[in-house]
Amino acid sequence: MDSGLDHKEPLNRFLAEVEGRAFQMARFATRNRDEALDLAQEAMFQFVRRYAARPAEEWRVLFYRVLRSRINDWHRRTLVRRRVLAWLGRAEDEEDPEDALQALPDRQNPDPSEGMLRKEQRKALEMAIRALPRRQQQAFLLRAWEEMDLKQTAFVMGCSEGSVKTHYSRAVHTLRGVLEGKKP
Amino acid sequence: MNGLESEKRLLQEARELLNAGVENLDPPTERRLREIRIRALQAAQEQRPGFLSPRRWVMAGSFAAAALAAVFFLWTSPSPDPLPKTGQVEDLEILTSQERIDFYQNLDFYRWLEKKGAGPGKNGNPS
Repeated sequence: MDSGLDHKEPLNRFLAEVEGRAFQMARFATRNRDEALDLAQEAMFQFVRRYAARPAEEWRVLFYRVLRSRINDWHRRTLVRRRVLAWLGRAEDEEDPEDALQALPDRQNPDPSEGMLRKEQRKALEMAIRALPRRQQQAFLLRAWEEMDLKQTAFVMGCSEGSVKTHYSRAVHTLRGVLEGKKP
Repeated sequence: MNGLESEKRLLQEARELLNAGVENLDPPTERRLREIRIRALQAAQEQRPGFLSPRRWVMAGSFAAAALAAVFFLWTSPSPDPLPKTGQVEDLEILTSQERIDFYQNLDFYRWLEKKGAGPGKNGNPS
């Protein structure tokens, strides 16, 4: 299927590497699988349209900057929609109730007992990340997961490095309790 | 273990758990992400014509022709009213002049003096 895209291989490899993470980040933000897929799609299309010609070493920060922008737009749209729905007296959109993905077998870990513990830890961490305020969530995922430095994170988030430090340390403080409390 | 090491270990664990979340995405989601990626790459390919593509030449040619026509039109068309009317020039001179304002207030007097043959001096004083 990718044969026609050979000359685009570096870009294809880059997107293949980040697409899963981008989806997860969007899912933490939206708490909804379909919305997360839409955001991942918007981010990928916008990224290739605007930045594919830029040097490959710039792609990662540019891609996550686009994704962050799409997520923030989604938050704005959702806020307006919720206000309108509340004014009309209608119910809000549904979130993913219980994450169906958690029920799937862990392909990396064949030991069912260990898999169960890891799965519980992962579930607790993901729920805690979802519950974080938006800016803390972004700072934590970019710094801890993507291993971006302060400058890169500030660029992606569109804020100062001091602000990143504050959001990140608050997020780590919150998540420390979750991770330490769930250790086997 | 000091605080820094403890935090490093904690973050390493968080990273592993988050990576496991990506590795365990369900097949329909993986498939959908793959489709999105391929469509994005195809869209990028379609929207980036080569430097010498006919479309690019047509666009560049149209732009150059429009610019030439605009320059030609501006160059050849006579200016309808190149200078402001004399009255406007006079008003402007009066407004920007460093002459004392009483000179203009006594303009009728100086005109009368001029008719008599003695005009005002530079600073409005009769010479």
